[in-house]
Parts: sequence; structure tokens; C-alpha cells
Amino acid sequence: MRILITSAGHDRSTALADHLAQNHEIRLTERTHVETEREFAFSALGHDSSTNLLTRGIDAIIHAVEPLPGEDVSSQLDAATRCTYNLLMAAAEEGVQQVILLSTLELMAGYPPGYRVAETWRPLPSTEPPTLTKHMAEQVSREFAREGSLGVTVLRLGEASYKTIAVAVDEALAEPASLAAKHRSREEGGAEAWSITHIGERA
Amino acid sequence: MNVLILGGAGMLGPYVARELAPAHNLRITDIKPPEEDLPGEFLHLDAADLDGVVAAAADMDAIVNLSVLRRHRQTAWDVSTRGCYNMMQAAVTHGIRRVINTGPHYTVAGRHITEIHDFDIVPDIPPQPGTNLYALTKAMGLEICRVFTQHHDISVQHYLFYNFKNPAAIQPGERYAPYVISWENSAEVFTLGLDIDLDALPSRHEVFYVFADMPHGKFSNEKTKRILGFKPRQDVEILWK
Repeated sequence: MRILITSAGHDRSTALADHLAQNHEIRLTERTHVETEREFAFSALGHDSSTNLLTRGIDAIIHAVEPLPGEDVSSQLDAATRCTYNLLMAAAEEGVQQVILLSTLELMAGYPPGYRVAETWRPLPSTEPPTLTKHMAEQVSREFAREGSLGVTVLRLGEASYKTIAVAVDEALAEPASLAAKHRSREEGGAEAWSITHIGERA
Repeated sequence: MNVLILGGAGMLGPYVARELAPAHNLRITDIKPPEEDLPGEFLHLDAADLDGVVAAAADMDAIVNLSVLRRHRQTAWDVSTRGCYNMMQAAVTHGIRRVINTGPHYTVAGRHITEIHDFDIVPDIPPQPGTNLYALTKAMGLEICRVFTQHHDISVQHYLFYNFKNPAAIQPGERYAPYVISWENSAEVFTLGLDIDLDALPSRHEVFYVFADMPHGKFSNEKTKRILGFKPRQDVEILWK
């Protein structure tokens, strides 16, 4: 499988690339230049054809939605919304099969401790990153899944080791949201290519 | 009341400014200069400029956001999504409790999902804008506003429009959208939104469809009439009569 990983400058993306490279072809991208020994393509994730070229030939995208160092809130919000839209629009146009969005379990931190919070519960973002930006990236992605143009798996990451996250990504790649949807019956409302999984513990 | 109008030099802005001017002090901003004399103070401002929006909101009692750029894939996000974030940050900074935001009907009811098939479409449905750029960027702005109202004592009223008409220019038999309103009638809802006791609103985040009474029943303006006291004019009925 040929996999594109965003936020190449972030440690988690690097760790995922190291893990996935054992069985897949990896391309890294970032909104600034990053030094790496792996295949790297700079992309501002704009709405020009370069974002289509970035996603052409890709089977799955792991969209990490991490800020650049020192990036202000407004720019982080722009990256989480507009850039996610551009990336997913290009992915849909280029026939990418699957998107894995790395979100945060902090979205559910507003529920009282001890509650068995499930993926179907409403997120409770704050007005600051990372919960606001991750939430908005989820919201943008959900509309692509709603329209059926992409299968989107959201992994809301809590306190979890890179190994645990890597296993979750492996499982998501093995059964993309769109495939999972096909396996559900119509009575269960399986038409949408959208799934959410909580990984690790709430802080 | 001191009222900041963002995007006030667009198509709707002059109608709203003329409606509000007799009772309110207006500070009108836009990225482009107005094409006609507007009441109040005018500031050149990009809604995507956080510091500028915060500065413009100083000493204001309410913010009305009419900003819209629909089609460009950079500016649509700048104005409709980041612009809402900037507006809400400005409201927090200055303790402004009353915000009125605007957008198209499909901010909540994506036209690919409901408009073709359904009737009695109400504004209080889970937003499902789809990936249409205009709908999605406005929906993301709405969601940002909603999140802020969960954490701050700010009330946001969203007024969603579809199609505006100048009654004098309507041609017999011309096509029209599933909901329509005259420019003058649409401006009147902003007076209601500035006058209403915020405690009379069901919550700090409310969405309203603003349009004339129409016979086909596709969308419902009942909530707007019931809560805001909106009185639709009968000035676009020539469209179907």
C-alpha cells in the first residue's frame, strides 16, 4: 500500500512512518521543509494542482493535523480546516481509498471522570487548540464521508504509546471505514464511510 | 446600542445599515469600500485579520457579521470560518454578549440531502452542509460560534438566507428559490435580533431561517416568527401568484 503521512515534522508522524515502512511505501509531507531520509514532498496543502499531485497514486492518507512550531492559533485553525479540505478534495479527485485522521481524545475530556465515554458521544472541544483544531478537522472530514467520496477513520488518541497507536493504524488500514460500512447491514445504517475509534486513556 | 457590522459594504449591508441607523450607532467594516454612503463610521478591515477585528470591536455592544466570499478556496475559509473565530475572540475580549451571524440556508441543510426531497425543513437539525465550499465554510464558522457559546456568556443568533429579491424588479414567471425574501424585509430581522432579551432565547446558540411566508412548505420560518417576532412582508408573492 502507498501511504501519505502529513505533519512530517511531528514525532508521531516520524514514528508512524518508521513503523509502516516495514510493509508499505511511505511518502511524508509537511507545510514546511523537513529533513528526512524518507520520500518527502513539501506541500502547503493549497487548492492548486500540487495537492492533487501530492495525493496521486496514494492508497491511504494518515492526516495528523499538527501545528508547525510557533504557529499562531488562527493559522492552526486555517490548517485544520482549509488545508484539510484541500487535501481531502484532492484525495477524492485522485481516487484515494482511505483517510485516517489522527484526532485527540481530549475532545471528550469535558465528561466527568469515570464515565464510560463512547465514540458516539458528542465531542466537547474547548476554544483553543488542540481540541478546537482537531474538532474542526473532524467536522470537515465528516462531510466527505457523508457524501461518500472518501472513507474516513478517525482515531482519537489519548494517553497511548507509539506502539499502541501504530497497532490502531494497522487495524484501520486493514479495515477502512468504507469497508466496515459495507459489512454492516442497511438496518444498522451502514451507508456512511465514517468511523471513530478511541485509542488509549483520557487524560 | 453600539453595533459593529462586519462585511457591511456587501449586498445586504446597506439595507441592514439603513434599518439599524435610526436606533443604533454603527461601525461598519468591509474589505472593500462601500459603493454608496452608509450611516455611521466606516473602517477598511479584512475579517480574517484577528487583531483588526478585535480592535474594531472595542466599545461595541453587539456584532453583526454579514461577511461573505463564496467561491474562492482561500478567501471563503478566511472570511466564513476564520472570520467567525476572529469575531468570537473579539466578543470574548470586549465582553460583547450579543452576536448575529449570517449565512446561506445550506449551512445546516445541505441541498443535496434535504431540499430536493423534504418539506417542513426547520433550522434546528444537525448541520449537514456537505462539501460545497460556501456551505461548508459557513457551517464551520457556525460550529466555531457554537463552541464559543459553550464556554463563554455570549449569545449567537444565526440568520440563514437563501434568495433575496427586489420586489420592484420581479418579472412575471421568473424562477425563484425554495425560500425568498425581499432585501428590505430581511434587514428588519436584525432590529429584532438586537432588541430581543437574550434570556428570551432558548439557548445561547440559535439558528433561524429568514424568509417570506411561502405556500409550498419546503422550509419553515415558524421559529423566526415565534421567537424573534419576525413579520414577513407580502412583497414577493408575485413570484407564485
